[in-house]
Amino acid sequence: MPSAPGIVLVSHSAKLAEGLAAMAREVCGPDVVLVAAGGGPDGTLGTDGSRVAEAIRRADQGAGVVVLADLGSAVLSVKACLADGAADEADVMLADAPLVEGAIAAAVAASIGADAAAVRRAAEEAWDVRKL
Amino acid sequence: MSGSSNGFRRRSVRIPDGVDLHARPAGLLVRVAAQQSAAITLHANGRDADATSILQVLALGATGGSEIEIEAAGGNASAALDAIAALIETLS
Repeated sequence: MPSAPGIVLVSHSAKLAEGLAAMAREVCGPDVVLVAAGGGPDGTLGTDGSRVAEAIRRADQGAGVVVLADLGSAVLSVKACLADGAADEADVMLADAPLVEGAIAAAVAASIGADAAAVRRAAEEAWDVRKL
Repeated sequence: MSGSSNGFRRRSVRIPDGVDLHARPAGLLVRVAAQQSAAITLHANGRDADATSILQVLALGATGGSEIEIEAAGGNASAALDAIAALIETLS
């Protein structure tokens, strides 16, 4: 079976990114590579472009990488990272989705054979699915 | 081909008492649904869910003891129905 698209979770908080990755793995099973990229360079709250780039490289299994980010500068860090070409060897897409719902949807989609574009669409569907 | 039945099948199943269709079993359900040749839709609480969308399945808000209607269309609808019904009825 070809490898699944990888998923990178970018948050201002390392704990949030890691906790969400653990939660998504629990739901999607072991076949999807999920990499958390949370926190600033010195372990504070923030985002770190080099950590994002490294996470993209680790998530890349040859089937593309879908990146989700929490808010504001996390989104900007990912865009800057992609614009810099820091992850040029990977086929990377930034999904425009709420982080938790998008991550779970993306991880499950990746686990059932979706390609990177379909994983991104699954994440972005989160805007359209009400909880209540 | 034993068990093959193209077309449209529908069945209601009951979620076991005390077990909700929460994230982990919903993830399992989606993975089983994705392996079927039929397209599967779930109905509960007045909502519809594409069984391959975890967010739609979770949004059903299906709780223990309640009924879920499973529809399978196309492919081997009968096998798809059996697989999803078995999964839901044995949730623990």
